[in-house]
Amino acid sequence: MSENYIKIESKSSIDNIAPIRICVATFLSSLNIHIDELMDVKTALSEAVTNAVDHAYDEESDSKIIVEAKIRDDEKIIITVKDFGKGIEDIPLAMTPMYTSKPENEHAGMGFTIMESFMDEVIVDSVIKNGTTITLTKDIRKKSTNKV
Amino acid sequence: MKYNYENGKLTIYLEEELDISSCKIIRGVIDGYIMKYQPYELVLDLSGVKFMDSSGIGLIIGRYNLIKLLDSKMKVINASDNIKRIIELSNIKLECVQYE
Repeated sequence: MSENYIKIESKSSIDNIAPIRICVATFLSSLNIHIDELMDVKTALSEAVTNAVDHAYDEESDSKIIVEAKIRDDEKIIITVKDFGKGIEDIPLAMTPMYTSKPENEHAGMGFTIMESFMDEVIVDSVIKNGTTITLTKDIRKKSTNKV
Repeated sequence: MKYNYENGKLTIYLEEELDISSCKIIRGVIDGYIMKYQPYELVLDLSGVKFMDSSGIGLIIGRYNLIKLLDSKMKVINASDNIKRIIELSNIKLECVQYE
């Protein structure tokens, strides 16, 4: 089994979401991947990182997130987004479409819905006061046309 | 971000990437134009948008709610196929989204 990965440690800042997104998308573009699939992964990743940055920490100081992107056997993408923040109290509620804990910030409450629609598997692992890890996986085999 | 106001119609040309970071800035700018011109119709032109996540959905819904307060109309035009898929996942009132 062959595996390649990159790991990004970042301050939990909204300024870093775009650089993380671009970095991971560039890493994945070495794969034989359809541009639409790459956009799906990029969007789901953006949602996961936005969740971590926006919800995990009350204060920005010393807060960090770790994003790891893995390619397994050139056909499976596994992305983990890990924070060390407050954790999610009610995971099913957080994953409910249109639910947002911050309606005043004009959030659509669509983050997990987009992740679940655009990826094959979304796993949320959260411990209160310890942090949250979101694992996103997508199978990219069986794609043969319209390469990047 | 370019805009055009003509005969009661305010068109905003959104650009580049719509994520939480850019939307925080953009929404204040758009609302400034809306309050200044109080248009009969707001058009959000997405032809220059290369990436959008759920923050963009929040931006569209927020402007729609504001435009409804003015009893005006709004439409979203020129979304790419990838952005259309994201819009379709949300409950945005689809009558305002025009696929041109």
